[in-house]
Amino acid sequence: MSTTAAPAPGASRQDLTLLEEHWGERPSLRSWFSTVDHKRIGRRYLVTAGLFFFLAGVSALTMRTQLARPESRLLSPQEYNQLFTMHGTAMIFLFATPMLFGFGNFLVPLMIGSRDMAFPKLNAFGYWVFLLAGLFMWVSLPFGAAPNAGWFAYVPLTERVNTPGLHLDVYSLGLLFLGIATTAASINFIVTALKLRAPGMSLNRVPLFVWAIVATAFMVIFALPALNLDNAMLFLDRRFGTHFFDPGAAGNVLLWQHLFWIFGHPDVYIIVMPALGIVSAVLPAFTRRGVVGYPLIVLAIVTIAIISFGVWVHHMFATGLPRLSYSFFSAASSIITIPSGIQIFAWLATMALGRLVLKVPLLYLIGFIVTFVLGGFTGAMFALTAFDQQVTDSYFVVAHFHYVLIGGAVFPMLAGIYYWLPKITGRMYHEGLGRWAFWLVFAGMHVTFFPMHLYGLFGMPRRVYTYRSEPGWDAWNLVSTIGSYLLAIGLLLVLIGVVHAIRRGRPAPPDPWGGDSLEWSTESPPKPYNFPVLPEVHSLHPTWDEPSRESMGAGATEDRILAEGRRTLFTSELDGRRERVVEMPEASLQPLVLALALLVFFTTMLFAWYPVAIAAVVVVAATIGVWLWPPRRPERELGVST
Amino acid sequence: MSTRGGIAAATGTEALTTELPVGRSTGWWGMVMFVATEATLFACLLGSYFYLRFQHGGSWPPGDISKPKLLVPLVMTGVLLPSSLPVVWAEHGIRKGQRWRLRAGLAATLVMGATFLILQASEYADKLREFTITTNAYGSLFFVITGFHGLHVLVGLTMISWLLAASLRGGSFGAHRHDRVRNAAIYWHFVDVVWAAILFTIYLSPRL
Amino acid sequence: MSAHPGPRARLAGGLLLWYAVLGGAVAWAVHLFAAWGVDELTCASGRERIGALPLQAVVAIAVVLPALATVGALLAAALVWRRTAHPPEGLDEHPVRRSRLLAVVAIWSNLLFLAIIVLGGAALLVLPPCLR
Repeated sequence: MSTTAAPAPGASRQDLTLLEEHWGERPSLRSWFSTVDHKRIGRRYLVTAGLFFFLAGVSALTMRTQLARPESRLLSPQEYNQLFTMHGTAMIFLFATPMLFGFGNFLVPLMIGSRDMAFPKLNAFGYWVFLLAGLFMWVSLPFGAAPNAGWFAYVPLTERVNTPGLHLDVYSLGLLFLGIATTAASINFIVTALKLRAPGMSLNRVPLFVWAIVATAFMVIFALPALNLDNAMLFLDRRFGTHFFDPGAAGNVLLWQHLFWIFGHPDVYIIVMPALGIVSAVLPAFTRRGVVGYPLIVLAIVTIAIISFGVWVHHMFATGLPRLSYSFFSAASSIITIPSGIQIFAWLATMALGRLVLKVPLLYLIGFIVTFVLGGFTGAMFALTAFDQQVTDSYFVVAHFHYVLIGGAVFPMLAGIYYWLPKITGRMYHEGLGRWAFWLVFAGMHVTFFPMHLYGLFGMPRRVYTYRSEPGWDAWNLVSTIGSYLLAIGLLLVLIGVVHAIRRGRPAPPDPWGGDSLEWSTESPPKPYNFPVLPEVHSLHPTWDEPSRESMGAGATEDRILAEGRRTLFTSELDGRRERVVEMPEASLQPLVLALALLVFFTTMLFAWYPVAIAAVVVVAATIGVWLWPPRRPERELGVST
Repeated sequence: MSTRGGIAAATGTEALTTELPVGRSTGWWGMVMFVATEATLFACLLGSYFYLRFQHGGSWPPGDISKPKLLVPLVMTGVLLPSSLPVVWAEHGIRKGQRWRLRAGLAATLVMGATFLILQASEYADKLREFTITTNAYGSLFFVITGFHGLHVLVGLTMISWLLAASLRGGSFGAHRHDRVRNAAIYWHFVDVVWAAILFTIYLSPRL
Repeated sequence: MSAHPGPRARLAGGLLLWYAVLGGAVAWAVHLFAAWGVDELTCASGRERIGALPLQAVVAIAVVLPALATVGALLAAALVWRRTAHPPEGLDEHPVRRSRLLAVVAIWSNLLFLAIIVLGGAALLVLPPCLR
């Protein structure tokens, strides 16, 4: 199976014992809560995001069941509103981004040849916050208090007079809480990629997946504040009677939409960009060559990340602004298609020039290209303003963005799951089961969402809990519902495949695919310290080139083994020159304590128990203070002059 | 080895391929990214002020609210902006291993920052007689923008007190260990610069 | 072999590289906010002049100046690209190859941003500034 034998470890037995001692964690309840290992945290992100995907998927199935026939009475309008809002909010915020960040957490340190993320404790903290924020939002559903105004929560519908109750408070506080996790993870990705790359990995040798994750992280840094501010204003309006969105008192409802889409449009790329990074990472192994046009894909990643900030007004072409000011945004909206196109053509060229190995991950990549291009095609149709106004708020829009998001994010994720499952679990999946799952998912997806184009054009509005029998609506809705069950069965087979691999799968060799990036130079699953010898990178495809592989073999010097302590290397920002050896933090319960204190804060804010909230803030400050408190060192080491 | 300057040197291969930025610590990058995201938040907040103001059209501030008076805010500016200087001085001191400069500089900044907050409280007491956060969107903007900044000053002061406590304990900072001092300093400078933007937006721009 | 550049020349060279890479992006961001903000706000206030200048002239300035800045970045990128084609003997190849990648990215991205600015500016010739 393996195309290349695993290199003999360049570290001595004694070094390996030392490394195991410093990095290994004995399984215990405490270590389960205190771990800072990026691989365990990455796995947790994947599993937790999978759980939220399951919940959001069940919400969708319930809605499809309700819509299978006209005038069905399975759900009340109130229940339906909460279900479609939680479905959208969870898929966007609790599944897509965390799932991709899970891949990032597991893979980025492995791909760049490091032993952990730059801030391991912050990493653990980010995971706990994500978990608690997700539960915070989902727990509201059984109490009938879940958000119920759509995932973009437009005012004035969401103001207190129009939607009383806790629904939108759960939404705004939940997203603010989650925002802490997303921001922390983003900062961590950027700093890790800047400082912890293996020696020799200058910018022109950084894997495309890492470029994509870093570009995504930069987008989060600059886009998320707009959403956070929007939600803070909504909460203040609803709870404390401010007037930001109240036209009766000098406020403005469009302010919500501007701020929301300043975040929202980059967010489309925040979701799709790392998924496209997965595509670029998976392709080389199954085409037996590097991705065509590396500099052009880097160009595409960087320019898409920047231009995506200048197109938000195209979500608001129905709001009546001067036409000249639209044209500045239209220009950006048109040009952003060029880098997107460059990427697609680079992948097609890679497939055309390479030797295809038709395994399950590649099937999903082909499914991705077909589905994503169809979604892009309907997207281009919206650029005709007359057409846009005709189909706005119809099922045509629902069809479009499910093609884009399932095609552009879910298919690459599934490709990534099959591709990296041997690395993550150390076991191979069952190829036949994987193929069945692929064809069911692919067929189910198209059977569900293609008819939505049709009944959207026939005039069926989105977000209605039921409908009267109309020509063309009934039959196609039933088809959609049948498709959604097919899709669900396919996804269940994916889950069974993963469980089967973990329980019964053949043990995986270090490099089952002949992959090109550094994670395939480690064991499957990797040791807690990732690399016995930190590699020296000599090309863009280090696992394929002899000098890089040899750098991890016999003859490695102590300065890349670093067995005396929990240590890794800092290198320079652009050229990856060796800078210094650093000590990494140990496992700690502080991240969990901090996340729990924040949970108390947001919960008490929700129920207006403000004194407890203030106490929680004090605990937060104290925990951070202890976390960062400098250890006492001898004066000589500090360099103090008296 | 001889060196050369001028435009020819700056556009030569070697100068153009200079690695820049280089040699920063992870803590520095982390703080810079954190400040970048916070700065975006303030930019959105001040952008919302101008958006609501110009979409409102009519007189600004709306309703019976008079234009903000300048005396107290200018005094506040006079206290807060120079408070960055002792931090710089303290940071340079600890780089040379002079712990007394670190302690004295931090203490001076602490006093200046606290004075700012006291002045802000008196300003609030004055304003609240005229309008509150629920009067209209202007009231909401005024108190949320200045309050949010005040909160940042409070966080900055907490960081400074924390540094001061750590440096008084001893065994914390020296010529080779001052990452935390520099990171807190970056945050404090950021809080200062944001105040200048707020002074312009809230207090000066209605008079333009 | 010629002498090495001094620290100031190195700083200038490093900054020039980043101007080449990010100049177009920053110029476009400035253009977008200036042109959109001025047009939107002036029209909302019901006027079509800013001081002595007609609104169109102000928007035109917000198009032309960023466009020129982008052209400058494009030229700088072309310079880096040429200078990294045949590096002098004895120079570390790591920074040269890294800069060459950045130069290629810079050339194409500046062309993209120039296209956006010019397309947006072209609308100025066709549309009256406050038509809704």
